[in-house]
Amino acid sequence: MVFNSLHFIWFFVVVYAVYRALPHRGQNWLLLLASYYFYAAWDWRFLGLLLASTVVDYSCARALDGSGTEARRKAILWLSIGFNLSVLGFFKYFNFFADNLHALLSSLGWRVDFVTIRVLLPIGISFYTFMTMSYVIDVYRREIPATRRLLEFAVFVAYFPHLVAGPILRASRLLPQIHEPRRISGQQVRDGLWLIAWGFFLKIFVADNVAGVANAVFEPDTTPTGINVLVGVYAFTLQIFGDFAGYTNIARGTSKLMGIELVENFRFPYLVRSPQEFWRHWHISLSTWLRDYLYIPLGGNRGSESRTRLNLMITMVLGGLWHGAAWTFILWGIYQGALLVGYRAGQGAEWFRRWVSGAGGVARVTSWFVMFHLTCYGWLIFRARSAEQVGLLTHSIFGNFQPGSVDVHGLLVPLLLHATPLVLVHAGEAYYNDVLAVPRLPVTVRYSIYAATCYLVLLFGNFGGAEFIYFQF
Amino acid sequence: MAITGRLQGRASRALLLIVIVAVQFVLFETALRTWGSSEAAPAFQALFTGDPHLGYRLLPGARTQFRTPEFDTTLVINSSGVRDDEEIGPREPGERRIVVLGDSMVLAVQVEFPQTFGELLEGRLNTPGSGHRVRVINAGVQGFGPVQQLLFFRHVAAAFEPDIVVVTIYVGNDAEEAVVWEPQLLGARPAALDAVRDTLLTRLRRLVRRSMVLQVLRLRAIEGTRIVSRPLGPPEPPLQSYAAQPVERIFRGIDLTRQAVERLADEASAAGARTVVVLMPARFQVDDADYGRLLEIVHQAGGDLQRDGATHRFREAFGDLPLPVFDLLPALRAAAPGPDLFFQQTAHLTPRGHEVVAAALAEFLRESGLADGGAPPAGR
Repeated sequence: MVFNSLHFIWFFVVVYAVYRALPHRGQNWLLLLASYYFYAAWDWRFLGLLLASTVVDYSCARALDGSGTEARRKAILWLSIGFNLSVLGFFKYFNFFADNLHALLSSLGWRVDFVTIRVLLPIGISFYTFMTMSYVIDVYRREIPATRRLLEFAVFVAYFPHLVAGPILRASRLLPQIHEPRRISGQQVRDGLWLIAWGFFLKIFVADNVAGVANAVFEPDTTPTGINVLVGVYAFTLQIFGDFAGYTNIARGTSKLMGIELVENFRFPYLVRSPQEFWRHWHISLSTWLRDYLYIPLGGNRGSESRTRLNLMITMVLGGLWHGAAWTFILWGIYQGALLVGYRAGQGAEWFRRWVSGAGGVARVTSWFVMFHLTCYGWLIFRARSAEQVGLLTHSIFGNFQPGSVDVHGLLVPLLLHATPLVLVHAGEAYYNDVLAVPRLPVTVRYSIYAATCYLVLLFGNFGGAEFIYFQF
Repeated sequence: MAITGRLQGRASRALLLIVIVAVQFVLFETALRTWGSSEAAPAFQALFTGDPHLGYRLLPGARTQFRTPEFDTTLVINSSGVRDDEEIGPREPGERRIVVLGDSMVLAVQVEFPQTFGELLEGRLNTPGSGHRVRVINAGVQGFGPVQQLLFFRHVAAAFEPDIVVVTIYVGNDAEEAVVWEPQLLGARPAALDAVRDTLLTRLRRLVRRSMVLQVLRLRAIEGTRIVSRPLGPPEPPLQSYAAQPVERIFRGIDLTRQAVERLADEASAAGARTVVVLMPARFQVDDADYGRLLEIVHQAGGDLQRDGATHRFREAFGDLPLPVFDLLPALRAAAPGPDLFFQQTAHLTPRGHEVVAAALAEFLRESGLADGGAPPAGR
């Protein structure tokens, strides 16, 4: 079941009506059953995996809480991590490694007949395994106590608004909200409804409409001119933001309606001026997860400069691989790591620091412009079908730009039409530095934006029910 | 006091919201009317008028320019309410008239009038030295199914004094169209309450048809309500006319189509005209890529698709009628390699598609002797 489907809307209306009528414990049971139904609507067979992940990590955390010796605690921790990484590795990366190994052996002239199995990717596996892993690690570190209530832990893992595409929640934040009775304020309802409406707008009006522009450029066997590649990359830059931020907004909005606060996952990521800032504003829940559970345990920036650079590269390459089992994701991770390493190196020069952090108008605009295009190029790598296509499209941009060949009606106009309302609202939110600025605007402005958003979605939205890009991760 | 103040505050906010919604409605309506290009556009809707017998028909004397990304055509409706740049008038000596009834595939708003298969057919049949002049009248109306074709002939086209009436059955949806018009075919009088409801619905439909914003919202609402019925039973796969095992409604529709054609042939015969049935296929029956795409969609919905299922069923249904039946599918399929026969977005015939249809139809009419006024293979 996807958020941008009528199935979900009816599902949520029914669940919410019952939710408001139930006492706290009943609400938790309802959330669990609704979440399992939500997940089973894709493929009920993977419900077993979700249940296994819940039971194993619940048990490991309980065992950690009751265990005294450090060696025993460490063994339990590695049992949990081993289980989660095995599940993730098998379901997400088996096909990738098997295919690449086969290709490698074949290229060496070895005829190997693999017994190949096609492993299906369970939706949302990367999100909920990361959540349960972080929970067990936090219990191991004694940052939080293990919960005794299996029902509450099961709701934490399966909670349907974030189950399949995040944000990646921390137990320290969500478990107390599940444990305590929830009060729903009028402001939460207003903010929640706006986040849902804006989420649908980002997905149905922006992402799914500009997807056609991006797809036209990334089609295989086509070599568009550089200017058209650039327009297509801009389109994908908007598409992936609209798609992912749209999902997060709907997840946050539905949660607010139920009295649950989820973390902010995006905060104007395309308005930043440095790679470091970008990762503080883009997919915040993943970048903080990678920081807390990978980069810092690797040593972070506590060692030598070269060790820090290595840690950054390892973190970003694994971050890239987290997105999917493909060489383009690994390449994207290397690219992001290189940007961070390059940025750290640049920090040593005074002029660079002033350019990236200075308050002057020229510095602000130029550093933003450069960073925005570096981000766009990252999305080119991310969206490309192969490393070869990355090369072809890069060559088009730098070797065959031809500004006069821009496809005005097919690419540019659809992109501008669907981007303009987003840019206007986004600029307003950025001005107030608040992603929830709209519900706090004067009533006439606020109502005008509400009405225009609804009209734009209903009249021009793409109701094809395209899946969210991040479901595949 | 506080409660009154709160209520006043809410009332004024509600009023403000209504005003904003109304103002934006006007803005979006204006924008869509200026730049929109769907059939909901006023340029297209201006072609139609209400009709007590037919629900609606082409507005006599209407003239409009219809632009979409795929085509840009001038549409002229003559004073008799058919797409023609000439008036019909009384039949001249030596003139043979062919009236082509049908839906949007016949009306063909996607191409200029001289490119329609009716006009091309007229050109092909008017060979020098034949001793008579053939006039082909395009009596197609957007959305008309078999029952409306019968009613249109009865109330409008019979006055054109045809020698031949061509009934064009679009096999893709005419069975379903016939079911909708079953009461009018069978002459069942609606109950008083139903009549009031129908009048209100007609007025509402007319209102909705005039607004492009409301047209789109109506489509969204239909989609939204459809899902409510899904939990009550499995969803019906699309393209039921082509399903390996269609629902009962399709068989009923084919039977009603047969009845409508039979009555039309009787009425045409009484007016001295012969009737020919032409079966028009859907695009995917000709276009392999389109077929592959639809096959996947139907399979995903749990159904099965027989590419020529609808054509076979109609042929079978008309098999024992004493009327010549001509299937356009073989001619279109034979011409399929090469430029498109159907538009990509509207799935209607391109100018080349019209040429192929006109050539095939002319050959059929000549071979059957109908073009020269000879006896049909079997006929009334």
